[in-house]
Amino acid sequence: MRRFVFYIISLTIYFFSGCHNKKESVEQPTDSYIVETISTPEGVKAEIGALTFLSDGRLVVCFLRGEVMIYDPRSREWSLFAEGLHEPLGIMAISASEFLIMQRPELTRVKDTDGDGVADLFETVTDDFGITGNYHEFNYGPVIDKEGNIFIALNSGSSGGDIQPEVRGRLDTTGRDNHGKEMYSVVPYRGWVMKLTPDGQLLPYASGFRSPNGIGFDADGHLLVTENQGDWVGTSKLFHIQEGNFYGHPGSLIWRKGWNRGNPFYLPVEALDSMRTRAAVLFPQNIIANSPTQPVCDMTNGKFGPYSGQLFVGEMNSGRLVRVVLETVNGTLQGACIPFIDGKGLRKGINRLAFAPDGSLWVGQAAYGWGGDNGIQRIRFTGKQPVDIYDMHLTDKGFDLSFTQALDKSAALSQNNYRLKHYYYEYHKKYGSERMDEQEVLINKITLTPDGKKLSLTIDSLKAGYVYQLDLGDLRTIGGDTLANHLICYTVNQLRVEKE
Amino acid sequence: MGRKSYVLSFYRSATFNLPGVVFLLSFSFLLTGISAQPNRDSAKTITINAIGGLQYDLVRFSVKPGSEVKLILTNKDDMKHNMLITVPGARMAVVNAALQMGNMGEKKSYIPAMDEILWSIPLLEPGESKTLSFTAPQKEGVYPYVCTYPGHGQVMYGAMYVTRKEMPPLKDDIHVPPVAGAHKGDVHIHDNKDFAEQKRAAPYLYRIFLPGASPAAIAVRLSDSLSYCWDAGTCRLRYAWYGGFLDNTDIWKGHHDAYGTIMGTIFYRDKTNFPIHIDHPGNIPVVQFKGYRLVNKYPEFHYTLDGIDVYELIKPGEKGVALIRTFRVPQTERILWFLFDNDDGVSYQASKGDRQGNKVRLSPSDAKEFTITMAKN
Repeated sequence: MRRFVFYIISLTIYFFSGCHNKKESVEQPTDSYIVETISTPEGVKAEIGALTFLSDGRLVVCFLRGEVMIYDPRSREWSLFAEGLHEPLGIMAISASEFLIMQRPELTRVKDTDGDGVADLFETVTDDFGITGNYHEFNYGPVIDKEGNIFIALNSGSSGGDIQPEVRGRLDTTGRDNHGKEMYSVVPYRGWVMKLTPDGQLLPYASGFRSPNGIGFDADGHLLVTENQGDWVGTSKLFHIQEGNFYGHPGSLIWRKGWNRGNPFYLPVEALDSMRTRAAVLFPQNIIANSPTQPVCDMTNGKFGPYSGQLFVGEMNSGRLVRVVLETVNGTLQGACIPFIDGKGLRKGINRLAFAPDGSLWVGQAAYGWGGDNGIQRIRFTGKQPVDIYDMHLTDKGFDLSFTQALDKSAALSQNNYRLKHYYYEYHKKYGSERMDEQEVLINKITLTPDGKKLSLTIDSLKAGYVYQLDLGDLRTIGGDTLANHLICYTVNQLRVEKE
Repeated sequence: MGRKSYVLSFYRSATFNLPGVVFLLSFSFLLTGISAQPNRDSAKTITINAIGGLQYDLVRFSVKPGSEVKLILTNKDDMKHNMLITVPGARMAVVNAALQMGNMGEKKSYIPAMDEILWSIPLLEPGESKTLSFTAPQKEGVYPYVCTYPGHGQVMYGAMYVTRKEMPPLKDDIHVPPVAGAHKGDVHIHDNKDFAEQKRAAPYLYRIFLPGASPAAIAVRLSDSLSYCWDAGTCRLRYAWYGGFLDNTDIWKGHHDAYGTIMGTIFYRDKTNFPIHIDHPGNIPVVQFKGYRLVNKYPEFHYTLDGIDVYELIKPGEKGVALIRTFRVPQTERILWFLFDNDDGVSYQASKGDRQGNKVRLSPSDAKEFTITMAKN
């Protein structure tokens, strides 16, 4: 309902601004979004580990080599706030002089107590988890919920690396497949999402993560984590995290309370499969994203364009972001992913994202030994409404697609403009999965609402456990503008039993 | 990867370049066929590992024209890698063609159908190994090898020199990735602009992996010639060194296991089971790291021993190679013992307490603030 009202408002705005702009078409921007590059400070390697904004509009940046710096977009000047941190990958501002920063050994309160603009106090908030020195044991977060609980995510160790002679935390190699090349968890809570209660206790919350380089909330307060394709992860994905659930990567299971099944890697795949919670959204490899990173929710109320309440997810492997739309079907969160921006000067390696108070979206890149770029870019909405898929919903007969603008009817109703296929990904220890049972899906019927903004596709049969990839051809608006993105992938976990 | 390439395969998938693949195969058979001598015993064996950080551990090698080559590629990384050997100068063309393969890429191991590709090893899973045997071209030249997995080709490559001569000096070699070349010559070349490489005034610190400590190590530059490693995992000073500070080049490459390299001589290493015992010697406390405060830029560490708050600030001695450790234990009713090993490289002086051999007994009032001076022997 809220969405519907939003449509009317945006349509109205578009209508009036459209009429108005006709007279001064020279000033009409040609693109809906502009990508600008921010110059980073001399002498600092611009590998971005974390971004956040202060309410006054200043940007706070953590660099992977340990600096925390503050950028004032007005003066374009940088100042050093702290340094010497160990691979900081997450930041949360408490005030302009106090931050929680997730670094390799701990979550730290970094604070300027004497008001000179430079941090002097580094308090350990929690270090109640293990580290082995394996290069891949990255730590992510913190994010905070409405009750004041803080969540962090702990990467598993990599089979491409080893553990140091001395580790922190109880070493238990049961969480490692000695015959395989899988990532592992040999000290407590590697591969877990952890909850830090307001009274300072760090509690295990959910297990089964391989490389969860992205944690955040959606507009409704659902905790979300992205996961990278690899062993036990057929393709990259977005999970909805709920307490006690297991999300698929086995090593972490040994730290479950009362775990008595020995090495989890040696359990039958069927057993592990039955234990795991599936992803809310799969990001098909080489189609949508290969290395998804931080999810951020657009709470800009239209300052960033028409996607209020939707999610934007970073992707390291290509010059694009991924937009995610979610819905609840039978009590389970699922939804679709859509490319966003794709090119336009956006560089690869997008590791972190943050919305500025002015509604622009800032992204930070880090190659860090993987392919990609370093630096900071800003994505600004010009005011020109994009022609784009707004969202996608599962119906009992197929899918409904909404668009940001009215579509030309003849193009929208032409079968040739749609190609729908489905496939699934295998859950197995092998690195990644092929697309299995990849098949074209026949669209039986296409209807368009009178306002030209909502399409309904009726298809033969819907299968749970499949990704439905829809490629759109030459759809256009009545005015002849073409779509910004032609691809959307919906992950069907649950089917709608009856029409709502 | 992007929409463009996707649309391309979308509309042209029916006519995907199969004949090209067949042509390529026959072309490479032809190549090997013409020049191959059935003399595999004398083949030169080249072993290359794909390792973390998007790199081959061998960035170049040389073979004689027309000679037999046996190349063993092992994937020691945690992601997939392939290897394509191309004609001279064709590396980026091949990398870009692989990118254009879009959806079909993975299935075809990102090996595009191109005449420029002489030989290839398909995508290897982590831990997998494959051997490629071939006859080197008759024509002398620099033949690139590259991983064409999307995103890798820009940085993950090397050079096969087909030549009877010596290869050029590695640091001048434009055919290998820049870091690899520069590293052999001067490890600091690429980090000149970084904080660690600037001439900067001590004190300052890095939390970073260090050898001989837990992974929660802290490296502190104390003066322009003195440094120490304090371990936040075990709440103790681990070792100290004089000379240069740290070289973080290796660890900062990312994507592989590494430590910061100590650029000096370690003169002290803690050999006790723990330096502060409580109530009586032998009672090792449970430790908890609480953080640090910068006092005139020197870190004052805060930790608890059996729940007792301890603050420790380390400064350089005024002369010679020495550390002055100031401890503060503001609130305790208990006796503290400071312990050391007689053979740990330094001699000790305690400002307070009752010294008994290699132990110092500190009453609660002594412990409120005391210094331990450690001078290099």
